[in-house]
Amino acid sequence: MFQISPQLGSQLVDLCAALLLLTCFAIVAQRRLSACVDLFALQSVFLAATAALVAFLTGIHHIYVAAALTVVIKAVVLPRILKKVIERLNVSRELQMNINVPAGLLVCGTLVILAFYITQPIIPLGFLLTRDSLAIALAIILIGFFTMIARKKAVTQVVGFLVMENGLFLGATAAAYGMPLIVELGVFFDVLVAGLIIGIYTHRIQDAFDSVDTSKLTVLKE
Amino acid sequence: MTALLFCLLACYTAGILLPPCLPGRPKAQNVLANGLAIAASLFGVLLGLAGLLAAAPLTASISSTLPFLTFAVRIDPLAAFFVLTISLAGLAVSIYALGYLTEFYGRSSIGLMGALYNGFLLSMTLVVIADNGFFFLIVWELMSLVSYFLVVTEHEKSEVRYAGLFYLIMTHVGTAFIILTFLIFFQEAGSFSFAAFRHLEQPLPEGLRTLAFLAALVGFGTKAGIVPLHVWLPYAHPAAPSHVSALMSGVMIKTAIYALLRVYFDFLGGQFPWWWGFTILAVGAVSALLGVMYALMEHDLKSLLAFSSVENIGIILLGIGAGMTFQAYGLKEFAALGLLAGLYHTINHALFKALLFLGAGSLLYATHTRNMEEYGGLLRRMPWTGFCFLVGSVSVAALPPINGFVSEWLVFQSLFLGFHLPVVLLNLILPIAAAMLALTGVLALACFAKAFGLSFLALPRSAHARHAEEIPVAMRLGMGGLAAACVFLGLAPMVVVPLLDRVTEPLAGVSIEGRVLALDGWALAPTNVEFSSISTPAIAVMLGALAGLGLLLAWAFGGRLRKRAYKTWGCGINLTPRMEYTATGFVQPIKRIFSTLYQPTIKLETEFLEESHYFAKHRRFEFHIEPVFQKYLYDPVVLFFSAVADRLRIVQAGSLHLYLAYIFVTLVVLLLVAV
Repeated sequence: MFQISPQLGSQLVDLCAALLLLTCFAIVAQRRLSACVDLFALQSVFLAATAALVAFLTGIHHIYVAAALTVVIKAVVLPRILKKVIERLNVSRELQMNINVPAGLLVCGTLVILAFYITQPIIPLGFLLTRDSLAIALAIILIGFFTMIARKKAVTQVVGFLVMENGLFLGATAAAYGMPLIVELGVFFDVLVAGLIIGIYTHRIQDAFDSVDTSKLTVLKE
Repeated sequence: MTALLFCLLACYTAGILLPPCLPGRPKAQNVLANGLAIAASLFGVLLGLAGLLAAAPLTASISSTLPFLTFAVRIDPLAAFFVLTISLAGLAVSIYALGYLTEFYGRSSIGLMGALYNGFLLSMTLVVIADNGFFFLIVWELMSLVSYFLVVTEHEKSEVRYAGLFYLIMTHVGTAFIILTFLIFFQEAGSFSFAAFRHLEQPLPEGLRTLAFLAALVGFGTKAGIVPLHVWLPYAHPAAPSHVSALMSGVMIKTAIYALLRVYFDFLGGQFPWWWGFTILAVGAVSALLGVMYALMEHDLKSLLAFSSVENIGIILLGIGAGMTFQAYGLKEFAALGLLAGLYHTINHALFKALLFLGAGSLLYATHTRNMEEYGGLLRRMPWTGFCFLVGSVSVAALPPINGFVSEWLVFQSLFLGFHLPVVLLNLILPIAAAMLALTGVLALACFAKAFGLSFLALPRSAHARHAEEIPVAMRLGMGGLAAACVFLGLAPMVVVPLLDRVTEPLAGVSIEGRVLALDGWALAPTNVEFSSISTPAIAVMLGALAGLGLLLAWAFGGRLRKRAYKTWGCGINLTPRMEYTATGFVQPIKRIFSTLYQPTIKLETEFLEESHYFAKHRRFEFHIEPVFQKYLYDPVVLFFSAVADRLRIVQAGSLHLYLAYIFVTLVVLLLVAV
């Protein structure tokens, strides 16, 4: 069994987290829906890698389970469901957005700065080797949220939601080496069910409005 | 007693859970739900009696995982009296419901109604035996919500939905004040247990005591229906199915009386400044008078009864207010008398108002209308209903010798005793309250002369009334039981007064049973026999003897006259229903006299023939009275809130992205603030 010094381990975790953040930006910049889903799958792989790395560094075994589940559910099952939805709905590109791509990227940059600014006073208080990625986790949550606001198609909103979830997972790992396994399992189950429900829901929206553009839901208002 | 309590809880719980388990079999659901309710209320009657006679209060409690919440119950005489009242009315109403619910087969879910009905009775019982503030609030809310769902049973009608919404809003406003009351005690006691409320380590400061008094008055007063918080009553009570109306009007509003007594005499220890009693007196007098005046103007029988409940709550509060005034000056025996009178009227009103509502339900069952203008001549077709309704009317109009008379007489006596008070102002005010009560009594008599006369006498005014048929046996049994109870409570004060004395003794601190019951209990004498006394059995005997004498004379002198059967003479014209008094016409003189209050709008539009202005083609008569409280008190508040809500609608764009953005911005701002 080879050993890694805590310094190096911390740096590696930060690297993985940075890759996660990078995929976030890629999702924001990407107009093609299937590419967005692919990028999400990639992000989930990075997340699993981060988790596995943390598990290796700390020797907490249940994080391995969480990492494996991440790969299975978020990198394989959910992308497949989403791809199927995209195929059936026959929408490949998002042409209209609430906020266009360059402006969106600028906002995301601001959000990252904001996240670092907010977490600045907290991070020195931590003693875990993952503590630096807390800022990145917050940034990912905010960017995921922002994606839900900026995009109109229901599919990208689902991706935004899942990105937020990834951010939360990273945050939990960063702040406390992950949640207890039972909670983790519950969250995975929730995400899976949410993915399924949203998939079905998107069909319903398509049926009712001939489009998956959620801004058309405005007509539901009295 | 514990066993009785357990049986009662078990039966009600079974009554909630089992009926919905038999979907598609309304008959079985009906029998099951009401059978269990009958069993439970029988246990309740026994429990109430046992609690009244027990030497020490029964207490039981189950702790919970929530902080401050303990499922504690305590059955002291006050609680036991109300358990008895609830269960007596519940027993009769459940028997009645066995027949009445057949009306709803196929229209509403009987299982759901049965479950809610049992839940309603259970929650009312729990309200009066709860011994923990938190628990009390939970069951109080449960009672309000369950009754709301019962009110909207016929939710396909828009006026029923309106009534339900109105009720829901009012009852929640009331609950807010009740929570405030309890929080005042909680802040001082550090616990929600009623025992801690009772024995505070330091007495509450004067300001907080006053606040608790007022908050309790507004909070519980909303449920009781005191003027001007009564506006929901005439909407909600008629909208519910009649057996539920009977419980709401007869029993549910009494839980507020219970709670007021609990807070004022138990938690606040019966130490009042004089103006508290005066406030209760004023509220009671105004409620009694306005309640009956609006009742007079109603043509919807159930609304009329609902307004009459406002009146009777007023009478109960007059008794309690007199008690509180005497208590403030240490005149304990008179205080006990006032409370006793109020409580006596409480159980009386529970019984006769339940009876009258069941009567109204029977009329509705037989004629399918609540409008009195469409009744008439029903005594011939529905003699049972007519007789029971007559007993109820006599009772609510406080005619001797039935129960309403006894309690109202006692209220009068306690008001007359006001000259013992050392303050001149109060010496004047109590007789004024008595005068207002006297006016109330007269108007109540007119009101129920109208209700009974127009419904049951003369000729049928509509096809509905012409084809009415007598109600099923179960309904007759329920009403007959209540009528018998009314007569019994009137003729047997010697049984009732000792029981009530056990309730008032801990509240006022003195027993007055020995004084009030004169001549071995055959007469009632509030202070001593010389001041005033009355004996209902003697009155009954005299009335009976007079009637017998009349019959005897008629037989002796008229028996030999030749009899000729002929229809009523109508001045040579055939009698038609159009010649009868209408409900509107009956109250016309009173409407004229009190037109300042009613502010009536009368519109008469006549369309004449083209040829001559002396011949009318059509006449349209329109009449309605101004709902003063709603117009000047409630409408401005409602308008204000809808204006504010309209402004706030701008933020509700209906766009998903906008809502997400709201959350997002809030999150970011909060994060920034937190740093």
